[in-house]
Amino acid sequence: MTAVRPVLEVADLSISFGGLKAVDQVSFAVERNRVTTVIGPNGAGKSTLFNLISGALAPHRGHVLLEGRDVTGAPPYRMQAAGLARSFQITSLFFELSVAENLRLAAQVLEPRVKLGLPVGSSAKARTRVQELLSQFKLDEKAGQIVGELSHGDQRRLEIAVALASKPKILLLDEPTQGMSHADTADTAALVRSLSNDVTILLIEHDIGLVMDLSDTIVVMHQGRKIAEGAPHAVRADQAVQTAYFGHA
Amino acid sequence: MRDAITLQTRAGHWLVALLVLGGLVFAVVGFATGDTFYLRLATEALIFGGLALSVDILLGYTGLLSLGQALYFGLGAYVSALALIAWQSFWAAIGASLAAALVCGLAGGLIANRVRGVYFALITFGMAQVLAKAVYNTRALGASDGLIGVPVLDINLGLFSVSSASPVGFFLFVLAVTVLFYVLAAYLLDTPFGRLLIALKANENRVLFIGYRTSTLRLGSYLVAAVIATLSGALYPMLRGFASPELLFFSTSGNAVITVILGGVGTLVGALYGSVLLTIVKSVVGSWTEHHLIVIGLIFMAVVVLLPKGLMGLVQPALVSVLGRGSRR
Ligand SMILES: Nc1ncnc2c1ncn2[C@@H]1O[C@H](COP(=O)(O)OP(=O)(O)OP(=O)(O)O)[C@@H](O)[C@H]1O
Ligand SMILES: [Mg+2]
Repeated sequence: MTAVRPVLEVADLSISFGGLKAVDQVSFAVERNRVTTVIGPNGAGKSTLFNLISGALAPHRGHVLLEGRDVTGAPPYRMQAAGLARSFQITSLFFELSVAENLRLAAQVLEPRVKLGLPVGSSAKARTRVQELLSQFKLDEKAGQIVGELSHGDQRRLEIAVALASKPKILLLDEPTQGMSHADTADTAALVRSLSNDVTILLIEHDIGLVMDLSDTIVVMHQGRKIAEGAPHAVRADQAVQTAYFGHA
Repeated sequence: MRDAITLQTRAGHWLVALLVLGGLVFAVVGFATGDTFYLRLATEALIFGGLALSVDILLGYTGLLSLGQALYFGLGAYVSALALIAWQSFWAAIGASLAAALVCGLAGGLIANRVRGVYFALITFGMAQVLAKAVYNTRALGASDGLIGVPVLDINLGLFSVSSASPVGFFLFVLAVTVLFYVLAAYLLDTPFGRLLIALKANENRVLFIGYRTSTLRLGSYLVAAVIATLSGALYPMLRGFASPELLFFSTSGNAVITVILGGVGTLVGALYGSVLLTIVKSVVGSWTEHHLIVIGLIFMAVVVLLPKGLMGLVQPALVSVLGRGSRR
């Protein structure tokens, strides 16, 4: 029996902007069907780390391995094809289009490429996927609504749904609860937990209660560097984390 | 549930059907009265409608403002004129124009799509200027006089043939070709490929992350637009018997953009109505005063301010809601 490879491994990942080392020699692995959460104070480099992993930025140093395959520096559409999808901290949707159309666009990759040139109606798999997502994310009633007119909470939920549409192996979620009400945050936490049965999740999250509750592994970043990694209770007890992240506490 | 984009496309089909109906009535009246001038003018309006259609594919769907679409229109006109002079064959002219469209569209697309926004507009403008100046200074292409002496043509359509000299016959032929361009564009834009172009306009970055190489999509859109513009241009020398450097000038590109904005950006059918409208305004106002450009400028400003969605913005939403109600029942 072969050992189970991590879905995602990053090794020595680094990038700097001018003199600022935004991500500095970060290494960790994400195990299959686990929730791994990256935490750290504002400006720690969490989103930049996601940009490096998802192909938005090419690292100056280090490697990104997806299921053991080196995909370092590949463009986002290649990462997507390799089974990695992401959501954005700042909602990035097709705001002028309907909820269903946003999902359909993202689900279209489930179809063979020739379907790109056939009428939209002939993409049955994509259509089925849209229906699944609409009910999974409780957006059925809003399917025809223009995304720009949705509430913030619904937009945030759709942001995740669009990333999930292609049935990725690993899903990167950048602060999915950003700006959400208390109730919406709890809903989203439940949603992420339910998703983690089928897809490996790498999460960035600020809500510490939620992080402790959801995560199998926590990676702590501070000033571009990884300062701790481990199970929630271990990370919470860590002295370096106490000073860097929880402040003076 | 039928989605909004498909409904809008349907509404466009009805408006095109109305345009065709109007065209047929016009042809009958023109034929009965033995008119030549107005039939020729209307034919020209349709030919420039094809050019405007290509601008709308870029501007209204992909979100790319081309200020040099005349490059392809002029290319089509010159290649077609040369082919007609050499071989007197419609299909040879169309074949040569199509080949030129694909080669130049690919080259132009690769250059222009390296940049976005204002820079895209400037590069497309620049490329058209370069070709215009080159043609203007080339003796073999008739230089500033243009390429004259394109022969009258019998267009062999298998079952019957149409003479390019017949006002009614050629008008109907161009009407059919223009509708064909519309059908092609409307079909393509309601496929997942077309929807991705709309998505590109809405949020290019996210398209990249849902799994599409955006540069390929943009190039595809550019190429389709280039083909339609070139083939529209290829009809021009059949109508007028010549190709002139003005067809490549900025005024031609600019007029096409104005046409689309008048008719309604992102509607396709608006490009055709816009072209008819602009032609009518030009000839009516032109018969009153030499300063018709001032009037057109004022009308353009009024439309942009009062009807930001153009002419189609007035009628299409109502039509969409009627169609939407019909499909739900
Ligand atoms: N493209 C860029 N160019 C220059 N500097 C950048 C760029 N992207 C990020 N930075 C800088 O890198 C640092 C890390 O930013 P990043 O967005 O990764 O932080 P973060 O951990 O996601 O913070 P937050 O919790 O506020 O979202 C910040 O100082 C930021 O200003
Ligand atoms: Mg961030």
